[in-house]
Amino acid sequence: MSAVPQSVAVADARVTKHAIAPSRGSRPWTFYVLAGLFTFYVIALYGPMICIYILSFQDVRGGLVFPMKGLSLHWFVDLFTQVRTGDVKGAFDRSIKLAIVVTVITVVVSFMSAMAFRRRFPGDNIVFALMIGSLVAPGLVLGIGVGLLFNAIGIETSPYTSALGAQLSWTLPFGVLVMFAVMSRFNPAWEEAARDLGASTWQTIRLVILPVLAPGLVAVALFGFTLSYDEFARTLQTAGPQNTLPLEIWSMTLNVTSPSLYALGTVTTIISFLIIGAALGTIVFIQKRRGARAS
Amino acid sequence: MTSWLYISPLMLVLVPFFVLPILVVLVASVFETDGFGGLIPTFTLANYGTVLTSGLTFNLYFETVKFTILTWFFTLLLGFFVAYFLVFHVRNPLLAIGLFLICTVPFWTSNIIRMISWIPLLGKEGLINSALLHLGLIREPLEFLLYSGFAVVVAYVHQLTIFMIVPIFNSMARIDKRVVEAAIDAGASRFDIMRLIIVPLSKSGIALGSIFVASIVMGDFFVTKVMSGGGSASVVGAFYEDISVLQYPGAAASAIILTVILLVMVSLILRSVDIRKEITQ
Amino acid sequence: MAVLRGDIELAGLTKSYDGVTTVVQGINLRIPDGAYCCFLGPSGCGKTTILRMIAGHEDPTGGEILIGGENVVGLPPVARGTAMMFQSYALFPHLNVRDNIGFALRIRGLSKKDRNRQTDAMIEKVRLTELADRLPAQLSGGQQQRVALARAAITEPRVLLLDEPLSALDEQLRVRMRLELQRMQRDLGITFVHVTHSQLEAIALADMVVVMDRGEIRQAGAARDVYATPRDRYVAEFLGGQNVFAGRVDAINGDLASFASPQMKHIAVPVGSAPVSTGDTIDIAVRRDDVGLVRPGVDVAADTSWLASRVLAVEYQGNFVKVMLDATGTDEFIAYIPERTFFRDPYAIGDVVQATWPSHLARLLAKTTALTA
Repeated sequence: MSAVPQSVAVADARVTKHAIAPSRGSRPWTFYVLAGLFTFYVIALYGPMICIYILSFQDVRGGLVFPMKGLSLHWFVDLFTQVRTGDVKGAFDRSIKLAIVVTVITVVVSFMSAMAFRRRFPGDNIVFALMIGSLVAPGLVLGIGVGLLFNAIGIETSPYTSALGAQLSWTLPFGVLVMFAVMSRFNPAWEEAARDLGASTWQTIRLVILPVLAPGLVAVALFGFTLSYDEFARTLQTAGPQNTLPLEIWSMTLNVTSPSLYALGTVTTIISFLIIGAALGTIVFIQKRRGARAS
Repeated sequence: MTSWLYISPLMLVLVPFFVLPILVVLVASVFETDGFGGLIPTFTLANYGTVLTSGLTFNLYFETVKFTILTWFFTLLLGFFVAYFLVFHVRNPLLAIGLFLICTVPFWTSNIIRMISWIPLLGKEGLINSALLHLGLIREPLEFLLYSGFAVVVAYVHQLTIFMIVPIFNSMARIDKRVVEAAIDAGASRFDIMRLIIVPLSKSGIALGSIFVASIVMGDFFVTKVMSGGGSASVVGAFYEDISVLQYPGAAASAIILTVILLVMVSLILRSVDIRKEITQ
Repeated sequence: MAVLRGDIELAGLTKSYDGVTTVVQGINLRIPDGAYCCFLGPSGCGKTTILRMIAGHEDPTGGEILIGGENVVGLPPVARGTAMMFQSYALFPHLNVRDNIGFALRIRGLSKKDRNRQTDAMIEKVRLTELADRLPAQLSGGQQQRVALARAAITEPRVLLLDEPLSALDEQLRVRMRLELQRMQRDLGITFVHVTHSQLEAIALADMVVVMDRGEIRQAGAARDVYATPRDRYVAEFLGGQNVFAGRVDAINGDLASFASPQMKHIAVPVGSAPVSTGDTIDIAVRRDDVGLVRPGVDVAADTSWLASRVLAVEYQGNFVKVMLDATGTDEFIAYIPERTFFRDPYAIGDVVQATWPSHLARLLAKTTALTA
């Protein structure tokens, strides 16, 4: 009987020793160094943005930098009412509407494209290369190119034609890549089982594929929305006469020298956070209902 | 053949909004300018000649490549070790995912805002200088913090480290921990394991991250301009300026050269890693 | 509803890829209605491909598949009256047990009331009533298997196809689930076609065992026929339980053949009316549990064949002891000695012993060729 505790103790010692960072017991020194690095990174990541949020509540008498002379909502009001700060409300409006359209198209097209890529087809390498090319090419060059193209054909650039297309050339590759990753977890046997039980192609998609992939589709939607909402370089030359929000921010960066720019930053970030929260919340909700383990 | 049906919407976007614009810019680069913003359709390589032989071009590329390399270096270092920490040192997988999400959330917010958020921090009257002065560590505000090359790199690294973290995290998470255990059994030190196991097995993640970082920095035009206070320029920044003064052909030639360089670089990196396998595993 | 026949006939069934690799080589087979048929063979022998072709998930390159007398090649799976239980079950991860099982009914457009009625009856049958609201991830391996079975059976197929249904389970569970499958089959009364690489599983479950090798059928028949009287060396070695060795015939007296090599001079094998002549090299099989061991010098009864051998290894297997012998020099030779018998006079490694068996129990094996008839 005394042999048993000893072997258990030996097994424990082995477990604790045999890993870079053992799963039980004390932490190696590298843990503290790396944890420190990680903390530094997170602080550096969020710190500057938090400064902006704080500064946007700057008092009327205050300037662009610390110290805070007081707290007020002055600059928020300034942002939305002053003519010199541009048409912020309109820009918000346009950006969100465009982003919604981009999101819907991105989700549908990414899903379809990833389905197509499941099997080899003639030219699939070319399509893939074009996708990567679209991702990697300088956004401004493409934006200018689209603008020139539309000029040459004689169509006016406008949000829902040229800007939409230019933004899609950025969001779709991302969306398809995310769908690749999502689909790799999809077991083709599920499809076959559905077919075996009598489901038609459309029924299989509707009852099996889409529900299982739902969290992934939400992730693609998140990409689609935020990438469109924040897109700048490609939209610059293709949005037409009226600005989207990032274009508005850009012109404020160049022209406005008051904390109302920070106020804009705060407001737009709140919207981004709401969208992110909604997306993550949806994914968590779906996962919980499925009883799936976090992986 | 249904595959082509499914893939057609994607092509409907890629062709008119990627292939054609590039072609248009390519065509514009062999035209001549009439000096007033109009284009004379001819075929001339003079624009390329001007661009390739100008000293300005060399400087521009030098600056851009300099920033690219610096950014790549620091994002790689930071990204690698953050990913390493999350994969190997965080015990609770749920916590690891939570921390990972915390790192990615800023990606979903406006990158312009994130860039300018450094200004109140780094400026002469900014938070960092004020703090250092207050603590008595310096007697005069540090000038190099803002409107300098330093600020440019800081802004880029701030924005782009996430592009390194995600693919490297992905690669590292797939490393079979038992391989590491076997190495420890064989007496490998911590640094041996890093050198012989972790780094080689994360290669594809590093490659993918490098593609993103390099292409974004080389293709960027406003971070360099704003954060250097106009002191430095970038290739695409100059492209933007040229376009603003309607110097289309010259700008187009410059753009094509840059795009070709980017595409060559990316395809070289991609030859060492199979993206489709990487993402779909 | 008329009861459809579930007998299966495969006629010249072939599958090749790109015209180069032929995975299934012109199979001919008849499976009677209501039989439990096991396809047995190593990975890559084509058994799963045949199953999938019967199911309709793959198309044959040539030949016909007749179920209940009608050729089903070209028909979609749902029109064949077959249902498949997939390897690792392929349960829909987002649906609970009830919705998984009732999936086929939902596809057919049954009202929720009808659906639930039939589904609940099936859930009763597989004894999963308390787990009806659980998700697959919350079920054990054995429970998942029952859900997969129920999901397939609810379509009232005439043939149920099972792709290695027990491979994902651990040993003990596998044995229990075997009984479950047998019970289901008897209960439903339909043809089961079950693919496996485990010979123990096949002989335990099947009315008909089909032994396959590289796209061809080596032997098809009742489990006992295949195990106790294998047709050729491949089947004998795959099923186990037999010692197989070869020898060159020296003389034939009556219907007994004797051998040329000095090692085998005390062996006689009944060859009956088989076309064997002196000089031929033949394969012989002797059941391992027919082999007895005696010390050298002990008298051996008449009509007994024996081989001189040396003990290589002894493995205690509980009810019997497995003694591995160096007898023929080339092939393995193993004796299963009943445990009590062994321990009356245990042998040690290195001992010289005589392996004996009644001569008439040795069997001539056919030359290894494909089964064409």
